[in-house]
Amino acid sequence: MSAAPILEVRDLTKRFQGLISINRVSFAIEEGEILALIGPNGAGKTTLVNLISGTLAANEGEIRFQGAHIGGLPPFRRARLGIARTFQVMKPFPSLTALDNVAVGALFGLQGGARTRAAAREQARQLLAFTGLAARAEQDAVALGGPDRKRLELAKALALRPKLLLLDEVMAGLNAVEIEEVVEVIKQIRDSGVTILIIEHVMKAVRQLADRVLVLHHGELIAQGSTDSVFKDPKVVEAYLGKRRA
Amino acid sequence: MRLVVVILLVVAAGLLAAVPLLGDAVLVQYGINALLVATLAQSWNIIGGFAGYPSFGNSVFFGLGIYGTAIAMTQFGLPFGVGLCLGAALAVLCALLFGLPVLRLRGHYFAIATLGLSFAVAAVISNLEIAGANIGLILPLIRADGMFYELALGLLVACVLCVYAISRSRFGMGLIAIREDEDAAASMGVNTTLYKTAALMIAAFFTSIAGGIHAYWITFIDPASSFDPTLNVRMVIMAMFGGPGTVLGPVFGALVLSAIYEMLASWISTAAALLFGLVIVIAVIFMPRGLADLAVGLRRHGPGYLLQNIRRHRI
Repeated sequence: MSAAPILEVRDLTKRFQGLISINRVSFAIEEGEILALIGPNGAGKTTLVNLISGTLAANEGEIRFQGAHIGGLPPFRRARLGIARTFQVMKPFPSLTALDNVAVGALFGLQGGARTRAAAREQARQLLAFTGLAARAEQDAVALGGPDRKRLELAKALALRPKLLLLDEVMAGLNAVEIEEVVEVIKQIRDSGVTILIIEHVMKAVRQLADRVLVLHHGELIAQGSTDSVFKDPKVVEAYLGKRRA
Repeated sequence: MRLVVVILLVVAAGLLAAVPLLGDAVLVQYGINALLVATLAQSWNIIGGFAGYPSFGNSVFFGLGIYGTAIAMTQFGLPFGVGLCLGAALAVLCALLFGLPVLRLRGHYFAIATLGLSFAVAAVISNLEIAGANIGLILPLIRADGMFYELALGLLVACVLCVYAISRSRFGMGLIAIREDEDAAASMGVNTTLYKTAALMIAAFFTSIAGGIHAYWITFIDPASSFDPTLNVRMVIMAMFGGPGTVLGPVFGALVLSAIYEMLASWISTAAALLFGLVIVIAVIFMPRGLADLAVGLRRHGPGYLLQNIRRHRI
């Protein structure tokens, strides 16, 4: 039913000196789906996001976005093509207001974004409202608490008007109510036509959101498929819980 | 409110422009120096204050402006204006060629690399015959302090207008994003390499023009005084004192510090440098984010602002 995948990764490999962080990983993301990327700590999930967003350069393999090779492009070009990301270790612009933090994305994002600072602020204001930060618009980002910083990361990424959104643990550190809120926000983002790759340790959220799940372990893809089938896969159980429990 | 500020600034510029009419030669000479240094601090502000790259290579651009002008006028008999253009071209080209590799470094590494650049360029110049080697050059003598004063004022006004335009622009927003978090800026679509290099080139342009005016005014130039790293330190101190990343802070910082230094030097000449250092230490403790932030802070919190700073920074 669907055409070519929006993102296709083939034999992607990343080595840090001797350590192989990502080992010949291949997968595709279909347009409009939510794909969850899970795996134990140190599995290479964030590295994979860094490779897709261009923050890191891969040693081998190729990345295609909407059919075009993007492996050699710098991060800002990938952002302008429509790939937005959040950072697990949050990276707000500390001495800018929450509003201006988001306005930067509206100014520099996908073509057709705001070209004046006033227009960018207007878009930013809407995104802050959407992510539940409207009351914090004029506060400096450094003064925001943890949950609000997570929301800010999300609003900043959305300001690029992305086609593909890479979410790196946006729910870590949130309480149950806040997680529900973010799950709702992510559903709405998907319904607006954005494809989403989400790294998440909160399994309840993964069950609610994901159309498909990828499992990464020691830099290798050990399973992929529907949520239920993946959670029953003995290799996945072993990776998470150890051999004797399996 | 904004209109009031604009009117005040225009009036201030007009009053400053009228200073040579007073006929006080010492005041005019002090003024030329202060205005040129204010331009240097404001130029540093573009790369250091907005983009957050603590450059110690701006004295190189100053020196290239000096030597471009001096070589054009003494070796080729070209007019002053052509000399300024040559100096600016050299400096902007230098910013482009060295900026591309050096701007890949961040923080302290960038500072050290640019500091090294200033020693390297000084060494090259002092071995060039055309630049008078390590003896230097003597420019055509001219007694026109009034003209130099007005040129320096005009350059400062142009530099402030340029920084104002940057602060309101998409470009300026990109520079600030780079300063705040470069990786995040890149992932939000900011062409960081282009923006940083452009910022350094703009800073180089204004710095070198100031150097050219300085050269013709001071007449005798040599490598040691033209590529003086302590001049770069002064740019940093003045911009930080005034408020880095603001439009008017570095200018006020430079003018205020110049005035303080001049007064100290004339009252108690021997201990002036010591007291000047003390002023800076006190300023860093009580207003670590500069005069611009002090103005906002005092309005918002009253005198408690000064104590807040001490507490916030655990001094």
